[in-house]
Amino acid sequence: MRKFTIRSIFISLIVSIMIVLLLQIFLQFDLVTSSAGSFVLNINEKSTESANAVTSVVTYFRGFDTLGEVTILFLSIFGIGLGLDGYRDKFNIFAYENTLLKIAVDTLFPLIILFGVYIIIHGHLSPGGGFQGGVIIASAFLLMFLAKSNDFSLKHNILELAESLSGAGFILLGLLSILIVNRFLGNFLPLGKVGELFSGGVIPLIYIFVGIKVSAEITSLVEYFIRIKDVK
Amino acid sequence: MLSSLNQTPFLHGVITIGSFTILMIGLIGVLTKRNLFKIFLSFAIIETSLFLYFIGMHFEIGKTAPIVSSEVKRFSLNMTDPIPQAMILTTIVIGIAVLSLGLSFIINYFKLTNNMRVDEMNELGEGK
Repeated sequence: MRKFTIRSIFISLIVSIMIVLLLQIFLQFDLVTSSAGSFVLNINEKSTESANAVTSVVTYFRGFDTLGEVTILFLSIFGIGLGLDGYRDKFNIFAYENTLLKIAVDTLFPLIILFGVYIIIHGHLSPGGGFQGGVIIASAFLLMFLAKSNDFSLKHNILELAESLSGAGFILLGLLSILIVNRFLGNFLPLGKVGELFSGGVIPLIYIFVGIKVSAEITSLVEYFIRIKDVK
Repeated sequence: MLSSLNQTPFLHGVITIGSFTILMIGLIGVLTKRNLFKIFLSFAIIETSLFLYFIGMHFEIGKTAPIVSSEVKRFSLNMTDPIPQAMILTTIVIGIAVLSLGLSFIINYFKLTNNMRVDEMNELGEGK
Protein backbone atom coordinates (compact mmCIF):
# COMPACT_ATOMS: atom_id res chain seq x y z
CA MET A 1 0.00 0.00 0.00
CA ARG A 2 1.31 3.44 -0.87
CA LYS A 3 0.60 6.22 1.54
CA PHE A 4 -0.68 9.55 0.27
CA THR A 5 0.02 12.36 2.69
CA ILE A 6 -2.35 15.29 3.22
CA ARG A 7 0.30 17.63 1.83
CA SER A 8 0.59 15.83 -1.52
CA ILE A 9 -3.21 15.65 -1.94
CA PHE A 10 -3.44 19.38 -1.19
CA ILE A 11 -0.69 20.23 -3.70
CA SER A 12 -2.34 18.09 -6.38
CA LEU A 13 -5.65 19.88 -5.86
CA ILE A 14 -4.05 23.32 -6.07
CA VAL A 15 -2.14 22.41 -9.27
CA SER A 16 -5.26 20.94 -10.90
CA ILE A 17 -7.30 24.07 -10.16
CA MET A 18 -4.49 26.21 -11.58
CA ILE A 19 -4.30 24.13 -14.77
CA VAL A 20 -8.08 24.30 -15.28
CA LEU A 21 -8.00 28.09 -14.87
CA LEU A 22 -5.11 28.32 -17.36
CA LEU A 23 -6.98 26.12 -19.85
CA GLN A 24 -9.85 28.61 -20.01
CA ILE A 25 -7.34 31.18 -21.31
CA PHE A 26 -5.42 28.89 -23.62
CA LEU A 27 -8.45 27.28 -25.29
CA GLN A 28 -9.46 30.67 -26.75
CA PHE A 29 -6.29 31.08 -28.85
CA ASP A 30 -6.74 31.36 -32.60
CA LEU A 31 -4.41 30.52 -35.47
CA VAL A 32 -2.09 33.15 -36.88
CA THR A 33 -2.26 32.77 -40.65
CA SER A 34 0.70 34.87 -41.80
CA SER A 35 3.94 34.34 -39.93
CA ALA A 36 7.69 34.18 -40.47
CA GLY A 37 7.21 30.58 -41.62
CA SER A 38 5.24 31.60 -44.73
CA PHE A 39 8.03 34.02 -45.64
CA VAL A 40 10.61 31.24 -45.22
CA LEU A 41 8.53 28.88 -47.37
CA ASN A 42 8.34 31.54 -50.10
CA ILE A 43 12.08 32.23 -50.33
CA ASN A 44 13.34 28.72 -49.51
CA GLU A 45 13.40 27.40 -53.06
CA LYS A 46 15.37 30.33 -54.45
CA SER A 47 17.88 30.76 -51.63
CA THR A 48 18.79 27.22 -50.51
CA GLU A 49 17.34 24.57 -52.92
CA SER A 50 17.00 22.22 -49.93
CA ALA A 51 14.01 19.88 -50.07
CA ASN A 52 13.45 20.01 -46.29
CA ALA A 53 12.43 23.48 -45.08
CA VAL A 54 13.10 22.62 -41.40
CA THR A 55 16.71 21.76 -42.25
CA SER A 56 17.22 25.02 -44.11
CA VAL A 57 15.82 26.95 -41.12
CA VAL A 58 18.11 25.10 -38.69
CA THR A 59 21.35 25.26 -40.68
CA TYR A 60 20.99 28.25 -43.01
CA PHE A 61 18.57 30.91 -41.69
CA ARG A 62 19.48 30.21 -38.05
CA GLY A 63 22.91 28.63 -38.54
CA PHE A 64 24.60 30.79 -35.91
CA ASP A 65 22.01 29.63 -33.38
CA THR A 66 22.81 25.98 -34.19
CA LEU A 67 26.48 26.74 -33.47
CA GLY A 68 25.45 28.01 -30.03
CA GLU A 69 23.29 24.92 -29.46
CA VAL A 70 26.17 22.57 -30.28
CA THR A 71 28.38 24.62 -27.93
CA ILE A 72 25.85 24.21 -25.09
CA LEU A 73 25.82 20.44 -25.67
CA PHE A 74 29.65 20.36 -25.65
CA LEU A 75 29.86 22.41 -22.43
CA SER A 76 27.37 20.21 -20.59
CA ILE A 77 29.21 17.01 -21.59
CA PHE A 78 32.46 18.70 -20.51
CA GLY A 79 30.96 19.46 -17.09
CA ILE A 80 29.73 15.88 -16.70
CA GLY A 81 33.23 14.61 -17.56
CA LEU A 82 34.75 16.88 -14.90
CA GLY A 83 32.31 15.61 -12.28
CA LEU A 84 32.18 11.88 -13.03
CA ASP A 85 35.91 11.46 -13.46
CA GLY A 86 37.90 8.21 -13.56
CA TYR A 87 35.69 6.16 -15.88
CA ARG A 88 38.58 3.82 -16.69
CA ASP A 89 38.59 2.03 -13.32
CA LYS A 90 34.80 1.74 -13.03
CA PHE A 91 32.43 -1.12 -13.78
CA ASN A 92 29.45 -1.19 -16.06
CA ILE A 93 26.27 -1.17 -13.95
CA PHE A 94 24.35 -3.25 -16.52
CA ALA A 95 26.71 -6.20 -16.23
CA TYR A 96 24.60 -9.29 -16.94
CA GLU A 97 24.99 -12.28 -19.22
CA ASN A 98 22.68 -12.67 -22.21
CA THR A 99 23.82 -14.98 -25.02
CA LEU A 100 21.15 -13.94 -27.51
CA LEU A 101 22.06 -10.25 -27.20
CA LYS A 102 25.77 -11.03 -27.44
CA ILE A 103 25.35 -12.93 -30.73
CA ALA A 104 22.83 -10.50 -32.25
CA VAL A 105 24.83 -7.36 -31.51
CA ASP A 106 27.59 -8.27 -33.95
CA THR A 107 25.06 -8.22 -36.79
CA LEU A 108 23.05 -5.24 -35.55
CA PHE A 109 25.90 -2.85 -34.73
CA PRO A 110 27.08 -2.06 -38.31
CA LEU A 111 23.48 -1.87 -39.54
CA ILE A 112 22.52 0.74 -36.91
CA ILE A 113 25.67 2.76 -37.68
CA LEU A 114 24.80 2.63 -41.40
CA PHE A 115 21.23 3.78 -40.68
CA GLY A 116 22.54 6.71 -38.64
CA VAL A 117 24.93 7.76 -41.42
CA TYR A 118 22.04 7.55 -43.91
CA ILE A 119 19.86 9.79 -41.71
CA ILE A 120 22.70 12.33 -41.39
CA ILE A 121 23.56 12.46 -45.11
CA HIS A 122 19.92 12.73 -46.24
CA GLY A 123 19.10 15.47 -43.74
CA HIS A 124 18.28 18.00 -46.46
CA LEU A 125 16.05 15.62 -48.43
CA SER A 126 13.93 13.79 -45.87
CA PRO A 127 13.00 14.04 -42.16
CA GLY A 128 16.13 13.69 -40.08
CA GLY A 129 19.51 15.37 -39.92
CA GLY A 130 22.62 15.70 -37.83
CA PHE A 131 21.07 15.62 -34.36
CA GLN A 132 18.75 12.69 -35.04
CA GLY A 133 21.37 10.61 -36.87
CA GLY A 134 23.95 11.32 -34.17
CA VAL A 135 21.62 10.00 -31.49
CA ILE A 136 20.97 6.86 -33.58
CA ILE A 137 24.74 6.20 -33.83
CA ALA A 138 25.06 6.69 -30.07
CA SER A 139 22.25 4.15 -29.54
CA ALA A 140 24.37 1.56 -31.42
CA PHE A 141 27.15 2.12 -28.88
CA LEU A 142 24.62 1.84 -26.03
CA LEU A 143 23.62 -1.58 -27.42
CA MET A 144 27.30 -2.60 -27.41
CA PHE A 145 27.64 -1.50 -23.77
CA LEU A 146 24.56 -3.52 -22.81
CA ALA A 147 25.69 -6.66 -24.64
CA LYS A 148 29.43 -6.82 -23.85
CA SER A 149 29.33 -5.40 -20.38
CA ASN A 150 32.97 -4.90 -19.35
CA ASP A 151 34.81 -6.19 -22.43
CA PHE A 152 33.87 -3.20 -24.56
CA SER A 153 35.44 0.19 -23.98
CA LEU A 154 35.75 3.22 -26.21
CA LYS A 155 38.96 4.65 -27.58
CA HIS A 156 38.74 8.11 -26.09
CA ASN A 157 41.46 9.77 -28.13
CA ILE A 158 39.58 8.95 -31.37
CA LEU A 159 36.32 10.28 -29.85
CA GLU A 160 37.96 13.52 -28.75
CA LEU A 161 39.65 13.91 -32.15
CA ALA A 162 36.34 13.47 -34.01
CA GLU A 163 34.57 15.87 -31.67
CA SER A 164 37.14 18.66 -31.87
CA LEU A 165 37.77 18.30 -35.62
CA SER A 166 34.04 18.49 -36.44
CA GLY A 167 33.56 21.53 -34.18
CA ALA A 168 36.55 23.25 -35.77
CA GLY A 169 35.24 22.31 -39.23
CA PHE A 170 31.89 23.97 -38.47
CA ILE A 171 33.59 27.22 -37.42
CA LEU A 172 36.06 27.12 -40.33
CA LEU A 173 33.17 26.72 -42.78
CA GLY A 174 31.58 29.84 -41.28
CA LEU A 175 34.82 31.84 -41.46
CA LEU A 176 35.42 30.72 -45.07
CA SER A 177 31.97 31.96 -46.05
CA ILE A 178 32.71 35.33 -44.39
CA LEU A 179 35.70 35.65 -46.73
CA ILE A 180 33.78 34.57 -49.85
CA VAL A 181 30.17 35.79 -49.53
CA ASN A 182 30.42 38.24 -46.61
CA ARG A 183 28.00 36.38 -44.32
CA PHE A 184 28.71 33.94 -41.47
CA LEU A 185 27.60 30.44 -42.59
CA GLY A 186 26.43 31.82 -45.93
CA ASN A 187 26.33 29.69 -49.03
CA PHE A 188 29.36 29.67 -51.36
CA LEU A 189 28.89 26.33 -53.13
CA PRO A 190 26.74 25.62 -56.24
CA LEU A 191 23.13 25.04 -55.24
CA GLY A 192 22.09 22.14 -57.49
CA LYS A 193 18.47 21.06 -57.95
CA VAL A 194 15.82 20.29 -55.34
CA GLY A 195 15.68 16.59 -54.43
CA GLU A 196 19.17 15.55 -55.46
CA LEU A 197 21.78 14.33 -52.99
CA PHE A 198 24.33 16.98 -54.03
CA SER A 199 22.13 20.01 -53.54
CA GLY A 200 21.61 22.74 -50.98
CA GLY A 201 25.12 24.23 -51.03
CA VAL A 202 26.72 24.15 -47.57
CA ILE A 203 23.68 22.65 -45.76
CA PRO A 204 24.75 18.95 -46.07
CA LEU A 205 28.32 19.86 -45.02
CA ILE A 206 27.09 21.67 -41.89
CA TYR A 207 24.78 18.78 -40.98
CA ILE A 208 27.58 16.21 -41.47
CA PHE A 209 29.80 18.18 -39.05
CA VAL A 210 26.92 18.47 -36.56
CA GLY A 211 26.22 14.73 -36.91
CA ILE A 212 29.82 13.69 -36.15
CA LYS A 213 29.96 16.05 -33.18
CA VAL A 214 26.62 15.01 -31.67
CA SER A 215 27.33 11.28 -32.11
CA ALA A 216 30.74 11.59 -30.40
CA GLU A 217 29.29 13.64 -27.53
CA ILE A 218 26.25 11.46 -26.85
CA THR A 219 28.43 8.32 -27.03
CA SER A 220 30.80 9.65 -24.36
CA LEU A 221 27.74 10.73 -22.31
CA VAL A 222 26.43 7.14 -22.45
CA GLU A 223 29.79 5.83 -21.27
CA TYR A 224 29.96 8.31 -18.38
CA PHE A 225 26.54 7.27 -17.11
CA ILE A 226 26.82 3.52 -17.70
CA ARG A 227 30.32 3.00 -16.27
CA ILE A 228 29.68 4.29 -12.79
CA LYS A 229 30.16 1.45 -10.27
CA ASP A 230 33.37 1.60 -8.26
CA VAL A 231 35.75 -1.35 -8.36
CA LYS A 232 36.08 -2.88 -4.91
CA MET B 1 -20.98 13.29 -37.49
CA LEU B 2 -17.42 12.09 -37.29
CA SER B 3 -16.31 14.68 -39.86
CA SER B 4 -17.09 17.45 -37.39
CA LEU B 5 -14.41 15.97 -35.13
CA ASN B 6 -11.87 16.08 -37.97
CA GLN B 7 -11.53 19.86 -37.83
CA THR B 8 -8.62 22.04 -36.77
CA PRO B 9 -10.28 23.77 -33.72
CA PHE B 10 -11.31 20.43 -32.22
CA LEU B 11 -7.79 19.05 -32.76
CA HIS B 12 -6.28 22.11 -31.11
CA GLY B 13 -8.61 21.70 -28.14
CA VAL B 14 -7.57 18.07 -27.71
CA ILE B 15 -3.87 19.00 -27.96
CA THR B 16 -4.26 21.86 -25.45
CA ILE B 17 -6.09 19.72 -22.88
CA GLY B 18 -3.67 16.80 -23.33
CA SER B 19 -0.49 18.85 -23.05
CA PHE B 20 -1.82 20.71 -20.00
CA THR B 21 -2.64 17.35 -18.40
CA ILE B 22 0.99 16.31 -18.92
CA LEU B 23 2.09 19.67 -17.47
CA MET B 24 -0.12 18.97 -14.41
CA ILE B 25 1.42 15.51 -13.94
CA GLY B 26 4.92 16.99 -14.09
CA LEU B 27 4.14 19.86 -11.70
CA ILE B 28 2.59 17.50 -9.14
CA GLY B 29 5.69 15.30 -9.43
CA VAL B 30 8.02 18.26 -8.86
CA LEU B 31 6.09 19.51 -5.83
CA THR B 32 5.29 16.25 -4.03
CA LYS B 33 8.24 13.93 -4.65
CA ARG B 34 11.25 14.03 -2.31
CA ASN B 35 13.77 12.04 -4.38
CA LEU B 36 16.09 14.27 -6.44
CA PHE B 37 16.03 11.90 -9.44
CA LYS B 38 12.23 11.91 -9.54
CA ILE B 39 12.17 15.72 -9.36
CA PHE B 40 14.50 16.05 -12.35
CA LEU B 41 12.57 13.47 -14.38
CA SER B 42 9.39 15.44 -13.60
CA PHE B 43 11.09 18.48 -15.13
CA ALA B 44 11.67 16.35 -18.26
CA ILE B 45 7.93 15.52 -18.33
CA ILE B 46 7.09 19.25 -18.15
CA GLU B 47 9.41 19.85 -21.12
CA THR B 48 7.58 17.15 -23.09
CA SER B 49 4.27 18.93 -22.57
CA LEU B 50 5.83 22.13 -23.94
CA PHE B 51 7.05 20.32 -27.10
CA LEU B 52 3.63 18.74 -27.66
CA TYR B 53 1.79 22.04 -27.27
CA PHE B 54 4.17 24.02 -29.47
CA ILE B 55 4.25 21.52 -32.35
CA GLY B 56 0.57 20.58 -32.16
CA MET B 57 -0.80 24.13 -32.16
CA HIS B 58 1.01 24.86 -35.43
CA PHE B 59 -0.55 21.92 -37.24
CA GLU B 60 -3.68 22.37 -39.32
CA ILE B 61 -5.68 19.59 -40.93
CA GLY B 62 -5.03 19.38 -44.68
CA LYS B 63 -1.53 20.81 -44.57
CA THR B 64 1.52 18.71 -45.44
CA ALA B 65 4.97 18.51 -43.87
CA PRO B 66 7.37 21.24 -45.11
CA ILE B 67 9.32 18.76 -47.26
CA VAL B 68 9.32 18.48 -51.04
CA SER B 69 8.85 14.85 -52.09
CA SER B 70 7.52 12.87 -55.06
CA GLU B 71 3.90 13.77 -54.15
CA VAL B 72 4.44 17.42 -53.17
CA LYS B 73 6.41 19.04 -55.95
CA ARG B 74 6.74 22.67 -54.83
CA PHE B 75 7.01 24.76 -51.67
CA SER B 76 3.72 26.51 -51.04
CA LEU B 77 1.64 27.98 -48.23
CA ASN B 78 -0.19 24.64 -48.02
CA MET B 79 2.63 23.37 -45.78
CA THR B 80 2.94 23.63 -42.02
CA ASP B 81 5.12 26.31 -40.47
CA PRO B 82 8.78 25.10 -40.41
CA ILE B 83 10.02 27.59 -37.80
CA PRO B 84 8.32 26.08 -34.68
CA GLN B 85 9.68 22.65 -35.61
CA ALA B 86 13.23 24.02 -35.93
CA MET B 87 12.82 25.84 -32.58
CA ILE B 88 11.64 22.65 -30.86
CA LEU B 89 14.61 20.75 -32.34
CA THR B 90 16.89 23.28 -30.62
CA THR B 91 14.88 23.01 -27.40
CA ILE B 92 15.06 19.20 -27.30
CA VAL B 93 18.86 19.22 -27.62
CA ILE B 94 19.30 21.89 -24.93
CA GLY B 95 16.83 20.01 -22.70
CA ILE B 96 18.90 16.81 -23.00
CA ALA B 97 22.11 18.73 -22.20
CA VAL B 98 20.68 20.43 -19.10
CA LEU B 99 18.96 17.27 -17.83
CA SER B 100 22.12 15.14 -18.15
CA LEU B 101 24.22 17.82 -16.40
CA GLY B 102 21.69 17.94 -13.54
CA LEU B 103 21.65 14.14 -13.21
CA SER B 104 25.46 14.07 -13.01
CA PHE B 105 25.30 16.69 -10.21
CA ILE B 106 22.85 14.42 -8.35
CA ILE B 107 25.21 11.43 -8.71
CA ASN B 108 28.12 13.48 -7.34
CA TYR B 109 25.98 14.77 -4.45
CA PHE B 110 24.95 11.22 -3.57
CA LYS B 111 28.57 10.05 -3.63
CA LEU B 112 29.60 12.89 -1.29
CA THR B 113 26.76 12.85 1.24
CA ASN B 114 25.02 9.45 0.80
CA ASN B 115 21.69 11.25 0.70
CA MET B 116 19.25 11.77 -2.18
CA ARG B 117 16.20 13.25 -0.42
CA VAL B 118 15.35 16.92 -0.60
CA ASP B 119 13.96 17.21 2.94
CA GLU B 120 17.13 15.79 4.51
CA MET B 121 19.56 18.17 2.78
CA ASN B 122 21.33 20.26 5.43
CA GLU B 123 24.60 21.40 3.82
CA LEU B 124 23.98 25.10 4.46
CA GLY B 125 22.93 24.43 8.08
CA GLU B 126 19.45 25.90 7.97
CA GLY B 127 17.69 22.90 9.56
CA LYS B 128 18.94 23.05 13.15
